[in-house]
Amino acid sequence: MLTMWWDNPADGPTNMAADECLAAEAEQRGCLLLRVYGWTETTVSLGAFQKIEDARQIPEIDGVPLVRRPSGGGAILHGSDLTYAAAVPKSHPWGASPQTLYDALHGGMVAVLSRHGIQAWPYADSAPAGTVPPGHDDQPFFCFDRRAAGDLLMAGPGSGPASKIMGSAQRRLAGAVLQHGSLLLRGNTLVGGAARHVAVSDLLAEVRLPEAQGLDAEGLDAEGLDAEGLAREWGRRIAATLGATVGEEDSPFCRGREQEVAALASRFRELRWTLRR
Amino acid sequence: MRYDPGTPAVTGAGTCGETGSGLVFFPEEYVMATDLKFAKTHEWVRPESDGVATVGISSYAVEALTDLVFMQLPAVGKRVKAGESFGEIESVKAVSDLYAPVSGEVVEVNTALPGKLETLGQDPYGAGWVVRIKADNPAELDNLLDQGAYEALVRSQPH
Repeated sequence: MLTMWWDNPADGPTNMAADECLAAEAEQRGCLLLRVYGWTETTVSLGAFQKIEDARQIPEIDGVPLVRRPSGGGAILHGSDLTYAAAVPKSHPWGASPQTLYDALHGGMVAVLSRHGIQAWPYADSAPAGTVPPGHDDQPFFCFDRRAAGDLLMAGPGSGPASKIMGSAQRRLAGAVLQHGSLLLRGNTLVGGAARHVAVSDLLAEVRLPEAQGLDAEGLDAEGLDAEGLAREWGRRIAATLGATVGEEDSPFCRGREQEVAALASRFRELRWTLRR
Repeated sequence: MRYDPGTPAVTGAGTCGETGSGLVFFPEEYVMATDLKFAKTHEWVRPESDGVATVGISSYAVEALTDLVFMQLPAVGKRVKAGESFGEIESVKAVSDLYAPVSGEVVEVNTALPGKLETLGQDPYGAGWVVRIKADNPAELDNLLDQGAYEALVRSQPH
């Protein structure tokens, strides 16, 4: 059984705290949990060890609220993306290695997008075995400028290079794995320059397959993309891969867990955490 | 006695164990590391004669984490508690905590490691040691797994 929540928008610290609760709950329940959520305002989430100075050198995000994730990877500008947190106990078949969960969830999204005539594919790291990856501080600041095996790509605008549309990163805890991820559905109109990345909606007209044009497509609204519809279909696809059913909770994940979430959120509000590196 | 990273390796490529869902590969260095104890969270411990426990990360865990990019280690003098995080390691996709297998004081840190993370994969039980902890209670070592039990744990992990 996969349990899924479509959660109300919240600020960065509350979202991070809710995700940590989700991981604890997954360990307790012994199954995969999925939380899809929004943000009350445009927010940059930093990877666990990204340097705060690197964020300060990007003028386009000056004044944008920052929250540091417990998970790794690069910075993400949230607000127009589909953000998710998935959690599995380490004893789960998808919990043993980082790539397994990464591939399972991204593979589910490839299938969903494909049903809507959108071709996406996982990035294949072609570096020879044993190659030392670029140092942490040598990697691009933004997640969507990085490439790791399993990241989802779409054909870029015109004849340009493929664009990354989905990336994820994990925090591997003692008993559970928390995976954060983002599908860049639409470009954020509030920022530009280095912080603006090509989104699915930017590419939609170019990449939709002709045979998809008449599809009765849940997940596509008049503008092309409906985040909630896509997310629900994604949840069903992931559950089907596990041979399980998907149970959607009617109430937000945080309901009934307010005190626990608030206590954990205080850590994510502390400057000591945000400025830890 | 400390582990001698120069010890010649056994000829051959290691051993494979049959599991319900595939094969688990144990590198030859792993098979040789008979003087080690292991935590369920994949840290290894080598008790030294001076009451200090050398701590590292098992080759299984290093391989599972894939490409390592960053490591944060504690300062010498830090007090650690068995089962609690004493450091963190980041790969391209994941951040993982490192858990102290025993309680005590960190008396030495492998400061060269964060700048040369490939050492963890190349020599996990030698030059890839992470910290040395002066154990408060050496009896805590009895709570850890011996090599056979750790192999069984790894084989039982989903693959």
